[in-house]
Amino acid sequence: MTMTEARPSPAASGGVEPQGQPVRAGWFSTSDHKDVGRLYLVTALIFLVVSAVGALLLGIERLDGGLQVLDRQAFTRLSTLVPEAGALLFVVPFFLGAATYLVPLQVGAPDIAFARGSALAYWTYLIGGATLVAAYAAGGGFEGSSDVATDLYLLSLIVLTVATVTALVSILATVIALRAPGMTMLRTPLFSWSVLVGGGVILLTAPVLAARLVELFIRHHFSGELGDPQSYGLVSWFWGVPTAMLLVVPAAGVAAEVVPVLTASRLREHRAGMVVLAALALLGFGAWAQVEASRDDLLYIAVSLAGVLPALALLGVLGDTARRGRIVRKAPLLLALGAVVHLVLGALAGALLGIPALELRGTAWEAGHFEALIFGTGALGAYAALWYWAPKLWGVRLGEGSGTLAFFLGFWGAALLAVADLANGLLSDQPRAATEFEGEALAPVLNGAAALGAAMVALGAVLVTAQVIVRIRRRRGARADDDPWGGATLEWATTSPPPPTNFEGPLPVVRSPYPLSDAGDDAGPVGDDAASNGGAEAGR
Amino acid sequence: MTATSSAATVEPGVIPALPPAPEPPRRGRVVLVGTVAAIAAGVMLFGGLLAAYFSARDLAEAAGEAWRPQDVVLPNVPLFMAYLTLLMSSVTAQWSVSALAARDRRTMYVAIGLTLVLGLAFVNALSFSWSQLGLAAGTSSYADTVYAVTVSHLLVVIAAHVAVLVMGFRALGGQFSPRKRELVAAAVGFWHFSSLIGVVIWYCLWFLEGGP
Repeated sequence: MTMTEARPSPAASGGVEPQGQPVRAGWFSTSDHKDVGRLYLVTALIFLVVSAVGALLLGIERLDGGLQVLDRQAFTRLSTLVPEAGALLFVVPFFLGAATYLVPLQVGAPDIAFARGSALAYWTYLIGGATLVAAYAAGGGFEGSSDVATDLYLLSLIVLTVATVTALVSILATVIALRAPGMTMLRTPLFSWSVLVGGGVILLTAPVLAARLVELFIRHHFSGELGDPQSYGLVSWFWGVPTAMLLVVPAAGVAAEVVPVLTASRLREHRAGMVVLAALALLGFGAWAQVEASRDDLLYIAVSLAGVLPALALLGVLGDTARRGRIVRKAPLLLALGAVVHLVLGALAGALLGIPALELRGTAWEAGHFEALIFGTGALGAYAALWYWAPKLWGVRLGEGSGTLAFFLGFWGAALLAVADLANGLLSDQPRAATEFEGEALAPVLNGAAALGAAMVALGAVLVTAQVIVRIRRRRGARADDDPWGGATLEWATTSPPPPTNFEGPLPVVRSPYPLSDAGDDAGPVGDDAASNGGAEAGR
Repeated sequence: MTATSSAATVEPGVIPALPPAPEPPRRGRVVLVGTVAAIAAGVMLFGGLLAAYFSARDLAEAAGEAWRPQDVVLPNVPLFMAYLTLLMSSVTAQWSVSALAARDRRTMYVAIGLTLVLGLAFVNALSFSWSQLGLAAGTSSYADTVYAVTVSHLLVVIAAHVAVLVMGFRALGGQFSPRKRELVAAAVGFWHFSSLIGVVIWYCLWFLEGGP
C-alpha cells in the first residue's frame, strides 16, 4: 500500500518559515514559553514569601523558651514545611521558570521544545504546590495529625517531582537540540549551561525522591504509619548535603552571566566557568546518600569536602573577572556577588556537616547550611536574575534603589539567619527544631539574631515580590532598551520583551560564546567597550 | 574570505549582511532528546524503587526476620506469562515502525493494534497475579516495596499505552510518513523502555525470590 508523503515544510527545504502573527493565548491556555516562564517566576516568588514567613515564625518561637504563637504540632509541621517550600516550591521552580523563559532566547531558538509539556509542568507545579500547603494546613505532614492530609501531602510531593521532571525534559531538549547554528555546546551561555548540567543532574535525582515517596505513600495509605522518625531523612536528603548545592547551580549560572557583563569584562576562559558549574552539579548528585548509614562513608565525607572547591573556584573566576573590569554598583551585580558569597558559606557549612566526628547532624547547623544555600544563594541568585533580565522579561527595568534594598535585606538577613544557626549548632548543639534551651548563655542571643535575619529575609521576599508585581502590572519604571547592559549573548539580540517568535530577523552564525560581539567584529574593528555594546546593535 | 571581501564593498556605516544560517535542526532530534531524557528519568525512578526494595530486604534479613511472609506463594506462571506478553508487545511495537518505514500503512495499523492488545493483556495478567498473590499492602515492608515497584511500572505501561494510542490515531489521520516518523519512533522507544523495565522487575522481584 502506498503512502502519501507529507508536504515538506518550508524550513526543512531551506526556505523561510512564514512569520504569522500568533494570537495571544490567555494565561490559562498559553503554551508560549515566555508566558509560562513569567507565571513560574511570580508563583515561585509567592512561595518564597510563604517559606520565609514560615522561617520567621520559627525564629519568633525560638526567642524565648516554650511556644508562644504556635502549638507543638503546628511548630513541628512548620519546621518541615519551610525547607520543603524553600527547595521544592521556590528554588527549583524559580530557576525552571527562568530557564523556560530565557534558555530558548539564549540559544537562539524560536520556541521551547515541547511547549505544551512545559505549560503542563507549570500547572502541575502550581497544583502540587497549592496542595502541599493545603495538606499542611489540614494537619498533614510527616508528623501530621490527619491521615487523609498526610496522604495528600505525600501525593503533592510526588506531583511536584513529576512537574520538575516534565519541565526539565523541555528545557534540556531545547539546550541540546535547538541551539542556533554555530553554537556548539562549548559556546553555550553560562546560564543555559548551568541549567543543562544542574537540571540534568536534577532530572536524575528527582525520580529517586519520587520512588521513595511512592513507597512511603503506599505504606502510609494502607497502614496509617510512616515508619520511625528517621523516615523523614528519606525525603529531606533532597535539600541536605550534597543535593542542596545542586539545587542552586542555576543561581551560580546567573552570577556567571551577570558579573562579566556588569563589570564590562569577560571570563578569562569561558570553559573554566563551564567546568566549575559542571563540577558543582556533579558533586551535588546526592541520591546515593539518602540512607543514614551512607553518611558515615568516606565517599560521603570526601564529596562533602570537595563541594567547597567549585564554590571557591567560582568565587575566584568571577573575582578575577570583576578585577579586570570596571566595578559599578548596580543592583544585579551586588545580588549576584552576594549569591556567590553565600554559596561559599553554604559549601563550607556542608563540608563540616559531612564530618561525622563533629556531630553536627540534627543540630541547628543543618538548618544554617540550608538557609545559606536556599535563602542566601537561591534567593539572591533569583533576585539577580530578576533585576538583570527584567528588561527582557517585562520590558521595564526594576528600580536600582529597591534592588539595593533587596540586596541589603536578602544578603545580610540570610547571613544573620544562617551564621546564627551555624553557631548555635556548633557551640550549643541546639537541636534543629528545638524551642527550649538549657545551660547555654549564647543561645538566646543567637536565636534573636536568627529571628532578626529571618525577618529581613521575609521582608526582602515581600519587597521583591511586590516590586515585580507592581512594576509588571503598571509597567512603571524606566522603559528598557533591547540591550541595556551591553550583554553579548543572543537574548539581547531581540526586542524587550521579545516578539512571539522570539527573533524578528535572522540570527548571526555563532562563532564564540559572545555572538553579538562577533557580529560587531564583522562590522569592523571595534574597541573593548564597543565590542559588547556596538556588537549588540549589529547582532540585531 | 567572501564575507571579508563583501564587507569591503559596502558603504561606510552600513553593517554588512551576515552569512546565511545553516538549516535549523530538525524536530526529530528534539523528540529523540526528549525521549532519552524521559527514559533516563524513568531508569532512575525504577533504580530508586528497586534500591528501596533491596535495602528493605537487607534490613529484614539483618534483623533475622522473614523477608517474604510465609503464607505468600508467588504465582510464578501468571507472572511469567504477564512479563513475557509485555516483552512480545515490544516486538509488535517495533514492527509498526518498520512497517511505516516500508510505507506499509495497513501493517502498521495491525502492529499498533496488536501492541495495544498485548499491553492490555499484560495489565490483565498482572492484576490476576496480584489477586493470586494475596498480599495486603501496608502489612509488611515486602508488600509495600513490591506494590511500589509494580504499581509504578503499571503506571508507566499505561503512559506508554496512551502514547502509542495517540500515535495510532495520528497515523489514522495520515500524519506520518517514512521520512516523518520521529513521534512514532519516540512512542515505541518509550514502549520498549516499559518492556525492558518489566523484564528487570520480573528478574529482581519474582525470579530472585524463588521463581521458576
